[in-house]
This record gives sequence, structure tokens and C-alpha cells, in this order.
Amino acid sequence: MLSKVKSLGLQGIDGFPVDVETDVSNGLPKFDIVGLGDTAIKESKERVRTAIKNSNYQYPISRITVNLAPADIKKEGSIYDLAIAISILATNEENRLGKDIMEYIYLGELSFEGKVKRVKGVLPLLISARNLGYKKFIIPSENAIEAGFIEGIEVYPVSDLSTCVEFLSGEKIIEKVNPSSFQSVISKHEYPLDFCNVKGQAGAKRALEIAAAGGHNLLMIGPPGSGKSMLAKCFPSILPDLTFEEALEVTKIHSISGELDLKSGIVSTRPFRSPHHTASTVSLTGGGNNSKPGEISLAHNGVLFLDELPEYTRHTIETLRQPLEDGIITVARANATIAYPANFTLIASMNPCPCGNYGSKDKECHCSPAQIHKYLSKLSGPIMDRIDIHVEVDNVTYSDLKSEKEEEKSCSIKERVDRAREIQLNRFKNSKNYCNAKMSVSQTKKYCTLDKMGEEILRNAFEKLKLSARAHDRLLRLARTIADLEGEENIKPQHIAEAIGYRSLDRKYWG
Amino acid sequence: MKEKEKLLVLLSQFEITYKKISKIIEILDEELNIDNFLKNKQIKELFDENLYENIKICATDARIKSYLKNLEESEIKLITKFSSEYPEKLACIPDAPFFLFCKGDISLLSQKAIAIVGSRVPSKYGMIVTDRFSETLAKSGIVIVSGLAYGVDSIAHRKALDVNGKTIAVLGSGFNNIYPSAHQDLANIIASKGLLISEYCPSMKATKYSFPQRNRIIAGLSDGVLITEASIKSGTIHTKDFALDYGKDVFAVPGNINSEKSELPNDIIKSGQGYAVTSPEDILEKVDFKVQNYKKVETVQLSIEEQTILNLLSDGDKDTDFLSKNCNFNVNILLSYLTTLEIRGIIKRLPGGFYSLA
Repeated sequence: MLSKVKSLGLQGIDGFPVDVETDVSNGLPKFDIVGLGDTAIKESKERVRTAIKNSNYQYPISRITVNLAPADIKKEGSIYDLAIAISILATNEENRLGKDIMEYIYLGELSFEGKVKRVKGVLPLLISARNLGYKKFIIPSENAIEAGFIEGIEVYPVSDLSTCVEFLSGEKIIEKVNPSSFQSVISKHEYPLDFCNVKGQAGAKRALEIAAAGGHNLLMIGPPGSGKSMLAKCFPSILPDLTFEEALEVTKIHSISGELDLKSGIVSTRPFRSPHHTASTVSLTGGGNNSKPGEISLAHNGVLFLDELPEYTRHTIETLRQPLEDGIITVARANATIAYPANFTLIASMNPCPCGNYGSKDKECHCSPAQIHKYLSKLSGPIMDRIDIHVEVDNVTYSDLKSEKEEEKSCSIKERVDRAREIQLNRFKNSKNYCNAKMSVSQTKKYCTLDKMGEEILRNAFEKLKLSARAHDRLLRLARTIADLEGEENIKPQHIAEAIGYRSLDRKYWG
Repeated sequence: MKEKEKLLVLLSQFEITYKKISKIIEILDEELNIDNFLKNKQIKELFDENLYENIKICATDARIKSYLKNLEESEIKLITKFSSEYPEKLACIPDAPFFLFCKGDISLLSQKAIAIVGSRVPSKYGMIVTDRFSETLAKSGIVIVSGLAYGVDSIAHRKALDVNGKTIAVLGSGFNNIYPSAHQDLANIIASKGLLISEYCPSMKATKYSFPQRNRIIAGLSDGVLITEASIKSGTIHTKDFALDYGKDVFAVPGNINSEKSELPNDIIKSGQGYAVTSPEDILEKVDFKVQNYKKVETVQLSIEEQTILNLLSDGDKDTDFLSKNCNFNVNILLSYLTTLEIRGIIKRLPGGFYSLA
């Protein structure tokens, strides 16, 4: 007896259809799965056999061969358990699984007692399948909310194998998954840290506001304990809300890595990722034996925070160059080349020198100039080129810490950021770009014109403050964002002047 | 070219120690020329065989000519101790260097000069003071001499160049091995707008001993040595000692007695080795220098906001955070004023996001 059902496999962040074919023939009892499966798939025969038996169905005592086609693409994970079980059961006419079984796509892992358990990557798989024209899906009920965000498909959640079989034979009716509402999720979210908890640091807060408004990458330089990490952690709370499309992209990636919160089913806040500086290059970029998105992809549409930037290995930092420029990382491995989206805002922090106290107001630095120079030179020019804002942060005094003065709340900063983003979305309506930081050279020329006085300030700044030439376009883009924050159509002299203040690492007083 | 000068030109191509050359000159005494040099057995013993053979090969007129031409092509001028261009100020010190490799404007060698030297890691106070003295002295037309090192040295050079003044950098290595390498760009600017000198042939690398040695040239070339900030263990102490040996004035900027970095200048003042100076004018007066059309006071137009910022900075350097708390306008306006004030040269930005009056 031969039967065939459909399932899905994952490659990168896209799904591809997989045919699960089962042949039951006479011979010594044996169970084989072919089609380049990994260990989890090899082991699925035990789960499938036990699940069928414990759900009180007849397990054929014959020679069973399962093929996962296309047979030349590697397949991973426990996602095919349900499809394999259904196709085995379909070979037995007693189960009265009609021809309908070909209409559905099955995803799910089986437990010994016959329960259908959650699997990774449901959202990206279903989206890809929908785009290929598939309409009906049977998935684990634990993944139902996640699937509810996809429009134009019928999704039937099942919690155990017998429900699934009864549904297919027409004995039972399962309710389709209700569409989930993105609006209700997004209105609920809260950020654990708010800018009103950070005392003082007016300059740094302003810089972060600009970074949020224009999507600029930012580097904080300051002695240990000055609150750099705290400021960075508050940063997501002033970022504009995710749009539904952005949220889907983020959810896809988080779904694949199994980091999705099952209750909400979708990532509704901008991700904030802070990998430790011992992180390997692959864990940052993604890839590896079983290709997985790395930290920079998990930070897609959100924030990648690299604390103590010079402590990362140089090689690791350098790999950020391409994604910072293109918003995508292409990981080439022996068995596949995969592109993961990686469009993130980089927030980094560092000490000004190895001991951390260079330039501090109350502690003395004991580093030699050569040490300071070496420390700073760990950041290569190309990386510094991609960081628009440098801001120096110093320790907060005790009296500041205890002051009763009300600090501005994140939500009111966010309102300004939202307004500035809106202006940018209008400006870049017809281009792929959506924020000032990613302006192309020609766009910079078009949208960042200075008046005479602004030109004068910029020219003087280069001459007198010894800015390096590569800062030029960055300054213009930064000034554009500052003007947008104030709702000004043209860049005024004060905007470019403020922007110049954010290029401290270009100055010569470092080393 | 005089015969004895030719001999020095020949020897300048090789990394021969100062001591050895002194010995050669002592041996040959009055009859300094290449022929005698090659004939003398005692001299031959001073060198190892390979080097001596090399010198012998190079000891032809044609070779020397092409060597000088090569130097010229890399825009290096070689002045030997026996040359008429050798600066008088250096000639009268006991251990005057035999060679001066020069890149830039050699007329600076004979002008009135002040050396500004000090710590490689100055405090903010040291940075501000060095900046201020270098600016005024350079603007007055005095040549600023220093050693291209990190810290005080490079601040002094840079400020002098900023105000279109003249500056001489004395290297502790050959031109092809600028130390620290991070100052290669500064060295290039000085070579084009000021003067870069070294007593070592271009291929020579810096050694532990070459820096104290170059300090004697710094002291010798200048009419006075200003020490803005240095600890007692600093190499600056050599420059001071040389200056005192050569009978040059030593100036010291008094500092906080708790600060390790003001130890040396405070010590100089305490022991009476040098003058305490609190303004650049004190030095100008001492070295009897007539200031050439230098306007000290420039009137500046300030807005109310700018005046507020300057008032806040009047008692020392402050960071952005402090300023934003104590002024009554928004931080974005504050930042733009800070930049414009800095561009106008009224305030100065320091590491760590601090600002001070210039």
C-alpha cells in the first residue's frame, strides 16, 4: 500500500513543500526513513510507532518505508512526525482516511502518548506555503496563535493524533484558528526600563533620541559605571512601534530559532539583543551546521547592543560590516547559501582606555598613550565609518542620583521620534530606504542641503576642529535627522552645529 | 665642500654611534679627510670588517654625490657640524650632534625658539596650559620646539600649526621610522609647514637611549625650555638638565601640589632652577622678544545664551551634563552653541565630553 501526504521543510527563513510518501509492503517488520533526514528525523520512527499504538490505532506489522521528497535537500527537526503518522495510518483502509488527506499540509511533533507538540518556524513555513498556493494546514494547537496572524489560509489546530484522524475521517469537526489581532498585541506591550529612571545624562539621552529618530548607529564612550548599559537598555522604549509587516519579519526569524513567546504568538516589540563579548562570530552572523539565524538577525528591525565593543574579537566586529551596510547577511556554507535579514540599529559602548578613566572627572587614568592608542585602534576605520553618533558619557554624581527632579518619560520622547519617522517615511516614499541613516549618496545630496551659514560652520569645523573627511556625509545625515526632530524642512545652522558635536572620536585628542 | 665635511657626509650614511665618531675625530685631529680616514689603522680597528668594507666602497666622490642626490630627492637636507649652515646655538653645546637631517624650513634653526615639553599623558589642566602657551608664543612669532611625542609635545606642535606659527620637531629616530607611528601625519604636516630634524640617518629605528639624546638637541636649539606638566620620573627631566647645563632659561608652570603630573614644574620652582610662569607674556619678557603685531584682545560678540555658557565655564572645565542642568535652555540648543563657540575658538573640548575656556 502506498500513501502520500504533504509537509513543509525550512531553508533559511523560507519554507519549501515536502512530500511524505509511505510504502507498506510484505516482508520482515522494519521501518526506514529516507530523504536526507537528520538524527531527529531518524528517531521519529520511534515516536511515530509509539504514538500510533498509544492512540489505539493499528500499527502495520510489515515493512514500512518513508520517503521525504525532494530527496536531495537536507531536512531537520521533529516537524514531520505528524505527517509520517498520518501517511502510515492512511495505508490502512480501516482508518477511513479518504482522499482528503492530500489537501492538507501537516506540521507537528508527536509525543509517546499521541499528543501533537509545538514546532519551530510555523509562521515562516505557513507564509511561504501560502505564497506557493497552499490553503489548508493542520498544525499543533500550541502554534495556533502564531498562525492566526497569517491572512488567507485555513488553519486547523490539533492537540493529539486521534483528533487529527477523526477530523480527517469526518467524525469530528475542528474550529479553524481565529485570526489574531496585531493591534491588541501591540497596545499591550510594556518596556521594563524607562528613560525617566535614568538621572542626568542629558547629552546621552538626546543622542539616543536622534539615533532612534533617524536609525543612526551610536557609540557611547565612558568610564565603567557611567550608565552606558542602562541607557542602551532604555533605548527600545523610544523606538517607533513595529508595523505589522516588520513584526511578521521579526517573528519569522524568532520562530525559526524557537524563541517565540507562545502566548502572544508574534514579536510585538522591537527586539533588543545584547550578545556577550565572548560570542563567537557564527553565533553573531548565523549559520553553523544546522543553519540558524545569528544574533544580528534576531536583532532585525530592532537593536543590537554590543557592550564593551573593543573586547569583541576584531574578526567578529569586522563581520558586521556587510550587514550594517546592506541590512542583510548572506551566510555561505558547504551545503547551502542562506540570506538572513539583519537590519538593526547598532548601539555600542566602550571605555575610553583600558583602565576606563581617561577623561573622567574624578578618577585618574593610568594608561600609557600607546595603550590608549592600541585600545582605540581595535575599532577599524570601516566600522567607525558606519557609526554616526559618538557620545561621551561620564559618571553621575551622587547628588544627581538623589535629585528629585522629574526626568522626561520615554513615551514623550517617543512621540517626537514618531513624528520624525513619519517625515522620513514621506520623504522616502518611493525608495527602498526608510530612514535618514540609510540615505544613499544621491539622496544625501538631494535632501541635505545647507544654507550659507551652515556651510560656513561645517567648513570651519573641518578646519578648526580637525574632523576627518569621512565624517562629512554622516554629519549631513545626522543634521537632517535633527532638523526632522524639530519639524524643520531645511537644515538650519544650529542643526549642523549640534551634529558636529557628535563626532568626538574623529577628533585628534584621542591618543 | 670642505674635506672634513665630506668625511662626515660619508659617515652619516651608516648607523655609527656618536661616541665612535668623536673618537675618529680625536684620532685624526687636524687632518680630517677621507684619505687619512682610510689609511689610519687605529680607525680600522674601531669597525667590524663588513661595515668598514662598506664605508670603503662608498668613499668615492661619485658615491657621495649620488647619496646627497638621493637625500635631496626625498627632500632631506643634511647639515653636518662642519657646515656653514650649522646653527650657532647648537654649535656651542659640548656634545653637539655631528649631523642634522632636516626636512622643511631650515631657516627656523636660527630663529628665537622656546621648547615646550612635558608629560606624555597630561591632565586636562596640562592640556589647557600647553595649548594656551603654545598659541600665544607661536602667534608672537616664536618657534615652538618639541619632540613629536604623545601628550604635551604633540599638543604644542599642533597648536603652533593651528595659529600658523612655526614649529620644529626633533625626532629620536630616523625619518623613515617616525615614533610614535600614530604621529606620522603630524610629522608630515610639520615637514611641510615647519621643520623636522633628526641626528639619525633615515633608516635608524628609535631606541631607549635615542630619546634622552634627542632631548639635548631640543634644549640646545631653544632659547628657553617651558615645562607645563611632568612627573618627577618623566624623561622631561633630561631636557631640563640639558637646558641648565647649556645655560638656557627653564620655565615651569606651577600646578596643583597634589597632582603627580605637576611634580616636576613645582620642584623646579621650589629649588630655584627655573622661573615660575603663569602667562606666556612672562616668557616673552624673559627672552627679550619683541612681539610682532600680535593682538592680544579680540572683542567678540556673544549672545545671552553664549554668555551663560561662558559664565558656567569660568571656574574650570564642566561636562555637558552639568551645563545642561545649570542653563535654562534645552540640551540640543546647548550642544549647538558649544560647537559654534568651539569653532570660534572661545571654548575648548576635552576628552570625556568636557569643555573649558580656551
